[in-house]
Amino acid sequence: MQLTIDALTKRYSGGVQALSNVSITIGSGVLGLLGPNGAGKSTLMRILATITQPTSGKVLWNNNDVARNPDALRDVLGYLPQDFGVYPNLSALEFLEYLAAVKGIAAGAARRRIGELLELVNLTEVAKRPLGGYSGGMRQRVGIAQALLNDPQLLIVDEPTAGLDPEERVRFRNLLSELSGERIVILSTHIVSDVEAVATNIAILAHGRLLAHGSPESILDSVNGQVWELVVPSGDLPTLRQRYPISSTAHRSDGVHVRIVSPAPPMMPGARVARPLEASLEDAYLAVLDSQRHNAAVAANTQPAVGATA
Amino acid sequence: MIQIRAIQIRAIAAIARADFLERVRRYSFLLTMMFAIFLGYSAATGRIMIQLGGYRGVYTSAWVGALVALVTTCWVSLVGFYIVKGAIDRDRQTGVGQVLAATPLSKPSYALGKFVSNFAVLSSMVLVLAVAAVVMQIFLREDPRLDLFALLSPFVIVALPGMLLTAAVAVLFETLPMLRGGVGNVVWFFVWAFLGVALSAVTGIEWLDPLGNMTMASSMISGAYAYIPGYKGGFAFTIADKPVQVVQSFRWEGVPWTASQILLRLAWCGVAIVLVLFAAVVFDRFDSARMFGRSRRRAALAAAGAGGVFANGATLGNGAAAAVVSAPIGISVRQAAARIAGPRLTALAAGERSSAFGRLFVAELKLATKGLQWWWYAVAAGLLIAQATAPIATARQQLLGTSWLWLVLVWSGMGARETRFATRALLFSSARILPRQILASWLAGFVLAVSFGSVAGVRILATQGASALLPWIAGAALLPSMALALGVFSGTSKPFEGILTAMWYVGPMNRVSGIDYTGSSNGAPATHYAVEYLVVSVVLLVAAAAIRSRQIRSN
Repeated sequence: MQLTIDALTKRYSGGVQALSNVSITIGSGVLGLLGPNGAGKSTLMRILATITQPTSGKVLWNNNDVARNPDALRDVLGYLPQDFGVYPNLSALEFLEYLAAVKGIAAGAARRRIGELLELVNLTEVAKRPLGGYSGGMRQRVGIAQALLNDPQLLIVDEPTAGLDPEERVRFRNLLSELSGERIVILSTHIVSDVEAVATNIAILAHGRLLAHGSPESILDSVNGQVWELVVPSGDLPTLRQRYPISSTAHRSDGVHVRIVSPAPPMMPGARVARPLEASLEDAYLAVLDSQRHNAAVAANTQPAVGATA
Repeated sequence: MIQIRAIQIRAIAAIARADFLERVRRYSFLLTMMFAIFLGYSAATGRIMIQLGGYRGVYTSAWVGALVALVTTCWVSLVGFYIVKGAIDRDRQTGVGQVLAATPLSKPSYALGKFVSNFAVLSSMVLVLAVAAVVMQIFLREDPRLDLFALLSPFVIVALPGMLLTAAVAVLFETLPMLRGGVGNVVWFFVWAFLGVALSAVTGIEWLDPLGNMTMASSMISGAYAYIPGYKGGFAFTIADKPVQVVQSFRWEGVPWTASQILLRLAWCGVAIVLVLFAAVVFDRFDSARMFGRSRRRAALAAAGAGGVFANGATLGNGAAAAVVSAPIGISVRQAAARIAGPRLTALAAGERSSAFGRLFVAELKLATKGLQWWWYAVAAGLLIAQATAPIATARQQLLGTSWLWLVLVWSGMGARETRFATRALLFSSARILPRQILASWLAGFVLAVSFGSVAGVRILATQGASALLPWIAGAALLPSMALALGVFSGTSKPFEGILTAMWYVGPMNRVSGIDYTGSSNGAPATHYAVEYLVVSVVLLVAAAAIRSRQIRSN
């Protein structure tokens, strides 16, 4: 089971470049796709879900080109879009029956699967109520159930924990972990802790480019020895923010404890010597994004002026 | 006080501007303008004309202005309503309404803002037609004298107040829960017919003429009596189907507008403002607690948050669950989860997949009819009883036509509900969605047509023979095909709702063959139309599938 993304580029009409030459090979497990808003995560998800065509590049499912035969992937695909709707007059049971028929699941199997899924997402008791009366979290659970209807080998979930309360979030993460054994799960989010909890692989996307890809351990290794804690008076915080990427701050009686990502120990006049810390995934994520911003700024500054003459 | 007024005016302008920009940047606005250009072209090339008992006058500036202004008040007000209605619904669907409701924006300001935006869209169509009138006058050259006042005054005095009324009624319908949806789209056709013609004709009061058509018609009729010797009355604003005699001596120079007539037109503008202010009073300001009937019950259920939390369910229904719930959000959750048995979801075997077309058809049928109230079925049953008891000619034309019109809101969701309810991504990522879902949806619509026309069908078979059943079958096939194609193409239910209502009025009720979708010609079967309907049905189905295929590829 393998999903190969080969030099994928997507340019929307109007010239917006959503993806630039993205290549990844994904095997079974959970791939956590991280990136800031507008990074191109949802575009990538939609291309993988066969509902958006790339401008160039290929998606291969078990070495078969998805563009040539999308149904081969759709047969084994479960997709939870970031934004989706439901038919308000149908009950959850009827809505899932409808989608089971759309997905071509045989009657007996559909009945069994829908029963199990409604139980899994704890909607059995309200399964016959119209969806129009469901809360946002309940609708999201219906979305999760529909994504699992056809026992997918490839499960794509785009910002799945939006609308779920903290308890639901934890349980959903568990579910993803358990599902990932024999299938590929792609979890797109900008919530680092969601990825940290379940991902066996991580990809970081920004401005449509793939900045990093690897196991959580390798991503963490890349920032080992680059995370520091500095204690400064609260008045120095604005200056510090301008100099270094700050991962978190905590006000204490001795000053503000600032978590900083920096290759060299950060220094501030009057502050104590920085203390090295163990890196978290959030630190690594910040470091990758900061490095990308730095490289972009350097590239912009070194560009020769267009039309300049000697 | 002055400052508050300035703030309110700025708010109205901002609402109108944002709404107008949102509309003109949509592809549908281009289609709207193309529709206006098509109307202008039809008038300029003589396809639409004013006839006075088989005669017409010279195309003076006044005549051309009146003709194109009539095109505007008739067609732009009818179709324009469907184009502009939806401004408030869009805010409801996108959630922008809730954002606005949490601001100090007053209900009148909001309603007036939407009204101004509606009027701006309609006016842009009027502008296109006014330009068409100038071009027509220059190129037709029946009268070389170009009188810009005579040419353009009908647009200002007649068409624009009509557009104001249309814009206001669109806002009013959107604020009235009963008329917000498809029912309002059907009701508008009758309101339009009433405002445009019937109000003045039925009451006999000439000034009760909101769209201004009758004032111009009366003036032309008076002129015809004076200048056309053989004129015996009659005024038709029609699609030209036979040649008319041009009377060179009849040079109509326009309505000699009096001050009182102008004041009356201004009064209709005032009526439009009053309608908008009334709409502001009844507007729910996006408050779900003030929703209507079932919507309110749903909103209450949603607010109550019925349904508990995401379950431990099949997977986590054991002692280990507590450990997971209490685990901090982090790597430890994965470790905790690993201690729990996997989900008890039974895997799907390879043989457990099928085309499931039968179930998809049943699901589409359920989707189309779910949510209909008991009274809807009571009326449908009444129409079936009437089909059984009325004379066969009435049963197969007016009653069958009305029974099928009764299905308009059921059919109009076909092809459009995937856009309306944002389920496209869920459906389009499924394998072999085409042609299964389109066919299942169409078949559900066809079965409904057959069911609700069944009594008339049985009587046709019994009294007129099997061959007479062909037009009945063709009609039953045509309407769901139209609904599906228009729904897939437009993503909304409005075009079909408007078109079917107009077809019902012109066809079965006024017995215009060809438009009569029951396949009747004065109560007798019209087989040649049946063949055309069947061909059109297939073409529409193929078009719907082609558009859907494109949508799936570039969603």
